[in-house]
Amino acid sequence: MTVAAKSAESPVDLFEGVARSPSHDFWRRFRRDRLAVASGVFLVLVVLAALGGAPLAAKVTGHSQNQQLFSALDQNGLPLGVMERTYNPEGTKHDPHGALFVLGADRLGRDQLVRVFYGARVSLIVAFGATSIAILIGIIVGVAAGFYGGKVDAVASRFIESAMAFPALLLAVALAVVIGAGLVNALVVIAVFTWYYPARIVRTQTIALKRTQFIEAARSIGGSDFHILFRHVLPHLVAPLLVYGTSIVATNILFEAGLSYLGVGVPQPTASWGSMLSDAVTSGYYRFDPALVLVPGAALVLTMLALNLLGDGLRYAFDPRSSMR
Amino acid sequence: MTKFAVKRLGAGLVQLIAITFLAWALFYLVAGATGANPAQRIAGKAASAAEIRRVEHELGTDRPLWQQYGLFVWKLGHGNFGYSYEQRRPVADIVFPAAKTTASLVVGAAVVWLILAMIVGVLGGLRPRSLLDRGLMILILLGIATPVFLVAPLLSYFFGYQPTQGSVLGIPLPHPMKLFPIDGYVNLWQDPVGWAYHLALPWLAFALSFAAIYARMIRALVIEQINEDYVRTARAKGASTARIVRRHLRPNIAPVIVTMLGLDVGVALGGAFFVETVFGLPGLGYVGLSSIQQLDYPLTVGTIVFAAIAAVAANTAADIAHGALDPRVREEGGD
Repeated sequence: MTVAAKSAESPVDLFEGVARSPSHDFWRRFRRDRLAVASGVFLVLVVLAALGGAPLAAKVTGHSQNQQLFSALDQNGLPLGVMERTYNPEGTKHDPHGALFVLGADRLGRDQLVRVFYGARVSLIVAFGATSIAILIGIIVGVAAGFYGGKVDAVASRFIESAMAFPALLLAVALAVVIGAGLVNALVVIAVFTWYYPARIVRTQTIALKRTQFIEAARSIGGSDFHILFRHVLPHLVAPLLVYGTSIVATNILFEAGLSYLGVGVPQPTASWGSMLSDAVTSGYYRFDPALVLVPGAALVLTMLALNLLGDGLRYAFDPRSSMR
Repeated sequence: MTKFAVKRLGAGLVQLIAITFLAWALFYLVAGATGANPAQRIAGKAASAAEIRRVEHELGTDRPLWQQYGLFVWKLGHGNFGYSYEQRRPVADIVFPAAKTTASLVVGAAVVWLILAMIVGVLGGLRPRSLLDRGLMILILLGIATPVFLVAPLLSYFFGYQPTQGSVLGIPLPHPMKLFPIDGYVNLWQDPVGWAYHLALPWLAFALSFAAIYARMIRALVIEQINEDYVRTARAKGASTARIVRRHLRPNIAPVIVTMLGLDVGVALGGAFFVETVFGLPGLGYVGLSSIQQLDYPLTVGTIVFAAIAAVAANTAADIAHGALDPRVREEGGD
């Protein structure tokens, strides 16, 4: 097919000129979406903040994650606000030489800035871990259902549908109570209640792929199921799963925050955005200073926003015809 | 149509059996894993072995597991959801009133989010990439990114609670705003105005993220539809935008939204956890969460099973409604 015919057929600019590799086209399209690039950069910063930023923030401020400073509370026991310095021993006035709390302190006198950074660790570990497990299960179930069809598909599809009909959060909380709170447990619980979304996507994609000519050709020259699966089916699932994965990571960050908020996620005193929020809300301290809710809330919202924008950008870059933005 | 409906009802029944089995199994998993024997819990710490055995016999936990499950399903079929350990009364007596509160919350919120989503989605979708559409899209993305457990306390702070310090992040607030009550529930039949007044903030908190998701969906559907030939033909014949929305877009979009609503009932019941705890509404989420904290298993299982039945029923009803609204679905599903 000539380049001219190609561009006439599609309303979207597919870069006229010399033939390029698909990955080259992908990067060119992705780079043009400035919001998606900015989101990607922001997410890299969040990862860096979680990895190196957390200990760095602890070192610079001199407060560790769970260190409770009495001087961060005033005489009534109310914590420091944003950009305030610690109180004098009587708790009546700010000490001009006291330590600066950039994002304020929580009700126990812990530094919110340091805790938000450490909270990023928990959010990212749980979200990425759970997403990886969910996608792995999703690939196995979805490919089996889509590739083998018939009875396998009927059973798998019913299974997926039933799983989706569950009130997930209610059961997740019950399951979390059974196996106890903890980082790995939260991760497993979230994976158990999210695998069916990738499974459904993979199944539809595999069914569509099975009908393509190149799979038919591979089969007609005697390719085994194994060969077709690993050389033809799985590579074609990478793009949709990458796009879909970013949105699952986003929902899983919320899921973890929700579990921690209900007290069945990552246990105290480990900082997590969800437990910071719940600590401020259930104790009622946010009514004295809404920054207690706004600080972890902003971290959550910005990360979610960036993940969603990145996902949209990736989707467009992989397949410009699939999305209108 | 009848064939399609019967088939769909059968699938719903299979789902229900799977869910009751899972909830029941989880119940025994809970009992086993936490090391708490239900009979021991009821009889108390000082109970003798004989007393515990007597309670076990009354509860039926001394029978083989398959018999226990059979009995559980049999009782469910007769509207018996079990007996709460902590509150010492039938689970049904606790769950049904709570379900009314949750239903008020979810149904009211669904109306709010559908109205919001319809306005935002249609306005944006009719003129894609316009300034208005871009502005609305930013709102949609923000709405999707903001979890309900952040929206709820913020709404309750700004519209319900009187700020003591009167400033947010150093910016002074003009006046203490105490526009809405932030706790309590008023029965709809006793005081309809008070009911809506007490639920206004919970509805809004609940509805925002759903409104954003639905608005994005409606926007995409509208964009897809307005490029169709029949819309162009209608325009060429001089039809107004209002008429096109009414006669061409709505019949094509409604079935999709109905199915989404049916699927989201299960998701929405999860969200009820957060909204009910922040606003102090005695609903299913509240009952379920406190039962989990008190290790009151029959109440937990009762809540889960009840919520699951509601979710499956809504899902099935939505599918059948989708079939009724869109003949293509019932043809595909019928054979």
